[in-house]
Amino acid sequence: MRKKIVVTLLSAAMVATMVAGCGSKEAADTSADAATEEAAPEESADAEESTDAATAGGDYHFEVVVKSFQSSYWQAALVGMDQAKEELGITYNATGPNAESDIADQVNMLNNAINSAPNGIALAACDQGAVLDSLQTALDKQIPVVCFDTSVPDAPEGSVLSTVVTDNGAAGALAGEKIYEAVKDQIASATAPVRIGEVNQDATSANISERGMGFINKVIELAKADGKTVAVVGNDFFVGQVEDNAAEADADIILEVAVPAQTTVELCSTEASKIMNEADTIAIFGSNQTAAEGVLTANQNLNVLGADGTIVGAGFDAGATIKAAVSDGTFIGAVTQSPLVMGKKALETLTQICNGETVEENIPTDGYWYDATTMTDADIAPNLYD
Amino acid sequence: MAKENVMPAVQKKSPFGKLKGQSLIVLLVIIGLFIFFCIMSPSFRRYTTIISILDYSYYIALMAIGVAFPLMTGGVDLSIGTGLICYSLVGGWLIQVHGMPVGVGLAACILFGLVMGAINGVLVSFMELPPFLATLCTMMVNRGLGSVIAGRAISWPVAAAPGGWFRNIFKITVGKTLIPIGFLWVILLVILMSFVLNHTKIGRYTLAIGSNKEATRLSGVNVKFYHLFAYVISGFFAGLAAISYSAIFATVQPGTGAGFEMEAIGGAIIGGVSATGGAGSIVGTLFGVFVFCLLKTGLPFIGLQANWQQIITGLVLIGAVLIDIIKKKKGNA
Repeated sequence: MRKKIVVTLLSAAMVATMVAGCGSKEAADTSADAATEEAAPEESADAEESTDAATAGGDYHFEVVVKSFQSSYWQAALVGMDQAKEELGITYNATGPNAESDIADQVNMLNNAINSAPNGIALAACDQGAVLDSLQTALDKQIPVVCFDTSVPDAPEGSVLSTVVTDNGAAGALAGEKIYEAVKDQIASATAPVRIGEVNQDATSANISERGMGFINKVIELAKADGKTVAVVGNDFFVGQVEDNAAEADADIILEVAVPAQTTVELCSTEASKIMNEADTIAIFGSNQTAAEGVLTANQNLNVLGADGTIVGAGFDAGATIKAAVSDGTFIGAVTQSPLVMGKKALETLTQICNGETVEENIPTDGYWYDATTMTDADIAPNLYD
Repeated sequence: MAKENVMPAVQKKSPFGKLKGQSLIVLLVIIGLFIFFCIMSPSFRRYTTIISILDYSYYIALMAIGVAFPLMTGGVDLSIGTGLICYSLVGGWLIQVHGMPVGVGLAACILFGLVMGAINGVLVSFMELPPFLATLCTMMVNRGLGSVIAGRAISWPVAAAPGGWFRNIFKITVGKTLIPIGFLWVILLVILMSFVLNHTKIGRYTLAIGSNKEATRLSGVNVKFYHLFAYVISGFFAGLAAISYSAIFATVQPGTGAGFEMEAIGGAIIGGVSATGGAGSIVGTLFGVFVFCLLKTGLPFIGLQANWQQIITGLVLIGAVLIDIIKKKKGNA
């Protein structure tokens, strides 16, 4: 009996230790790894400019809550934060849930961050609605919050002092423009409706939904200019936001939007397979790293993308797989953000706030279209992380 | 004399004929679902769709074959899902970051699987931790360990790159046709493990432990060893599953994998492995896995949105289990 009690207590202790250690240790280690492996070439022009604006940091300690460490995108953001840390003499601790769909876990981490009473918090929210109460608490405790990567539009007034994000709507529109340009002639000469696909990893985060809608609205705008009608079908969240949606039966272009149950590559690839298997599909867009990799995974079997294929593909963000696809022509290109600059600016802005300086409410960072010919350009290459 | 007391009890609990009947029902469900999806979606009726279903089935099937053994002892192994991702991250990290040959990465997957399986086995068998708790702990360890070691998303070499040969283990291209040879390996492993289960001491004692552990021990069987071995088998197959996952998917993301084990465990139970131990079939397990994979691939094709896909999958699985229970009750009557 005593043996059983000891074993049970030991097990409980083991579980408790692991739960407690899980988030922060992982984040600290990953950031250290990322810093040593990726810091060298990433001194982009933008990053240098942004340091001029920042002031020396003093002994501030910031808590950073990212969406997850799932993709290398977040590692690039942490590289930027490490740069800010060295230049400003601040410290930070980064945490994030295991997956971008672990919304409740992230809210817990945010609450823990608030309870540790840091000088400020940098937040990339998994769900723009779920963090509102926590932001109110941060406001009550007078802890300044800077959102980066993803905005929280309904945040309690005064809680989020600045938002450092890519103009996601514009970035999505950029992809829409490039894809439309590539299939314009095909649309013009089509005798039957054609299909353009869009795979979004979720319908809960502001950046993905803004990006998805940016793409959709741009395609509709360009198609209308050419006298074509577009019917947006698929995921209710996205379809519901389209104004004057045409009926599928009357449309020249069917824009099919797919969202998987979880933010994983395999589920994104199943959704992509479905669209790419349709005989009338002429183009597909994966709106972030996970979704774009899902499209590429589906293409391994279907082999319909690229110069010899029947479907034009484009992605978003970078990572070794997407870079290889752009480089060999499987994707006509992709839009990359500046995660490094975003991470760096988030901490610089927090430092400025702590120093009592006034900061811009919205600090936009750039999204760039890159293809096989522009991947090595000076303003693009630093943002193409592995 | 002592052994004779155990073996008939096992035989009585898992006569091959009875399980075959259940496997047959699951097979009919698979055929029914396949026909349904073919009728509902023209784009589903393609050769490449079958390849996709097989692609997504390998890692679940391999995990399921392995986890069937702990299940048949009356335990469970929850660590295989996050384990798969952890082993794949470690293997890929050795290749990508340390420039080691792909063979080393593949071996690392299997080695890590074996070690983690052995740890689970020791915790359950020798330290007598409840299997659910022990493997829940190692599941969490795996989830963090992969992230800590690899530190970021890992891409194994793509097919065209040096070292990309390993992707041909599961799929080769002859002319312009894709041949899913991974399915052949899965079938061979099913035959091998069916033989192990039904005709070797390892298999028979695994079932005996699940049927009545105390009686098996009193019969003179080294229960601790065979109990541990069931978890080693599970770990080994999680290692193989890691290889198949790395070969099929472009990138392995840290922090993922939780939930994979449920598809494998669910598949095994639908396929006739008793959740309380003592009975099971490897062939049935494979069929059970295909029910999952068909639903996972087929439901998006009929235009069902993500949340509905999960609801329907849950309902179909309840249906499949109910058919089994009803059939068993009729059999007992």
